[in-house]
Amino acid sequence: MAKQNRRDFLKTAAVAGTAISGLSIKPAKAAPKNILSEDRMGVLVDTTVCIGCRNCEWACKNAHNMPTQPQDKYSDRSVFKEMRRPDENAFTVVNEYPNPQNSEIPTDVKVQCMHCDHPACVSACIVGAFSKHESGAVTWDTTRCIGCRYCMVACPFQVPAFQFDKALNPQIKKCDFCYERTKVGKLPACVEICPVEALTYGSRIDLIRIARDRIRRNPEKYVNHIFGEFEVGGTSWLYLANQDFSKLQFPKLGEKPAPGVSESIQHGIFAYFVPPVSLYALLGGLMWITKRKNESEE
Amino acid sequence: MKKLIIILIGLSTLCFSQKKISKSHPETNLTCKTCHSCEVPTRQDPCLNACPRASMVTVYQSAEQTKNVVTLGDISKKYEPVIFQHRIHAEMAEMSGGCATCHHYNTSGPIQPCKNCHLLNRKRDDISKPDLEAAYHRQCITCHREWSHQNSCVSCHALKNTTQTASQLKAAQTLETKTHPKLVEPKKLVFETNDKDGRLVTFYHDEHINIFGAKCINCHQQQNCSMCHDKDKVSSINSPEGMPVKIQKSKSEHHKPCFACHQNDDCSLCHQQKIAGPFNHEIRTGWALNRFHEKLSCTKCHGTTYKFVKLDNNCVSCHKDWKVGSFNHQITGLKLDENHVEVDCADCHANKDFSKTPVCTNCHDDKSFPKDRPGKLVSSVQTKTMKSVK
Repeated sequence: MAKQNRRDFLKTAAVAGTAISGLSIKPAKAAPKNILSEDRMGVLVDTTVCIGCRNCEWACKNAHNMPTQPQDKYSDRSVFKEMRRPDENAFTVVNEYPNPQNSEIPTDVKVQCMHCDHPACVSACIVGAFSKHESGAVTWDTTRCIGCRYCMVACPFQVPAFQFDKALNPQIKKCDFCYERTKVGKLPACVEICPVEALTYGSRIDLIRIARDRIRRNPEKYVNHIFGEFEVGGTSWLYLANQDFSKLQFPKLGEKPAPGVSESIQHGIFAYFVPPVSLYALLGGLMWITKRKNESEE
Repeated sequence: MKKLIIILIGLSTLCFSQKKISKSHPETNLTCKTCHSCEVPTRQDPCLNACPRASMVTVYQSAEQTKNVVTLGDISKKYEPVIFQHRIHAEMAEMSGGCATCHHYNTSGPIQPCKNCHLLNRKRDDISKPDLEAAYHRQCITCHREWSHQNSCVSCHALKNTTQTASQLKAAQTLETKTHPKLVEPKKLVFETNDKDGRLVTFYHDEHINIFGAKCINCHQQQNCSMCHDKDKVSSINSPEGMPVKIQKSKSEHHKPCFACHQNDDCSLCHQQKIAGPFNHEIRTGWALNRFHEKLSCTKCHGTTYKFVKLDNNCVSCHKDWKVGSFNHQITGLKLDENHVEVDCADCHANKDFSKTPVCTNCHDDKSFPKDRPGKLVSSVQTKTMKSVK
């Protein structure tokens, strides 16, 4: 036992190090399970109710002090000809799709940050500029951001947007679930202005119950799917629709939290000094092989 | 003693309040539990279940009996109150879902104002039903959107304190007394289709209602204004009032109302190369109706639904009570003489098959019908009867 010489030790270490770095995939750790409170809030978007008035787009810009056209300009429906995405100048947009149940009334879908329960952006951010709040909101802190844009790559919904046109102090921009408004008891601006209450603000548990109830009472109207209930581990924003969500350009996502895979690899690799240990083990192994080769040649 | 008085007062108020409740809930087949979730619903806490919709709506008034105009001004801060022309909307609703199209949650008592259930505040505890603003908008916008393809607020709302206000209010007031013109039911419609083998479909609207007994709702389901009126689509057919009638529909949409009954029928039943004639029982079923059957509605023989099943053409299948004494033979055009009045039907009409020529040989070896007759002809109807009874 005591007779293990240096050569044997290095040999074992090399094998073990390689094994650990390759196999140690563990469940995600940074997913903020600890702050997911039972009564966290959400919004239920009923796309069968939305009329595409785009008042939410205006209200959002207004609430975030962003430059905007006057409200009545938003009744222009020609914007629906093109599919739009939320960007650094608009945290939410409404897109229009054909409605298979009634060709006269197209289906309108509001898009914004889904405020995931296990947000990939929070996980990917290397400086902790993103945070998931107890209220459900995922927000971004300008003072910490270094502009690496990992969040943009990580987001399964491609929501965070970067101010590419700003040379000085460009920022990451996305829906903040009206964090400042909800903190003082106000509704999110889009929810408040919606003329048909296609957006219902409430605790996520209540919203899921209401959504299930709507499907149960109207099985012919709705597809039996609440988008966001399980997608990427659940999102604060939930959607109901009368057609398959893939037709409304929702990404097809599994039920596993998005940070799961990347985090387990990242955290697995960096746990227990595995990379330095395995690197030294590899070098040691190489040295041992070269030395033996040289010895045999002599 | 004090306690007794208190109990008595309590009991009397309870009785009184229950009596009051029953006044606003007239005779109904519903149980309390259909609407109320708790044991003792009160005015303050009626604990109403989530709306059961059409299944419990029993309110019905004709459009003429309803309010002409309803002013909706509970919410508006920015806009003038909405002058809602209730009667004309009620008339239009009569063509589709009736009162229940909008008044979806009512006991058989007086109509509940929307704000009884739909609260004024968007931020509220019970988010299971929309707030008042959303409830109003959802009722209006679906149809108005189909009709105008617009969502702009000012198409319904007049802005407060603007020049536009007065003119919009005036326009709304002129609509107050306007009624929807009476619908002229089409008698016959001919649709031109792309079907090579049967280009034309002739639809007899009057027959489906008057003869086949179809109700409007059997075909006209979930229809609204845009079914006939669409601002942007003008078709070649114009209604008598000059309003454009839309005919552009997908194949499945166009077949849908017919398929409720005709799903298993051959295409050629409707699709023909020329305009089809009106319904003829002989052509359709191979069995001509005689002058008695002609007058009957289909349901008299084929049951109460408007989906008809084939019957056998044996007279006694329907006429179970045809026997001596109860049948006046004179209506067939032949008045039986006194010798034959008492004779059993089956003695002449073998096996009670009245469609075949009667036989005399059961009693008379040397006689035969129609050379010999068991009575006197009632001449005026004779020929017609014999012709139609094969």
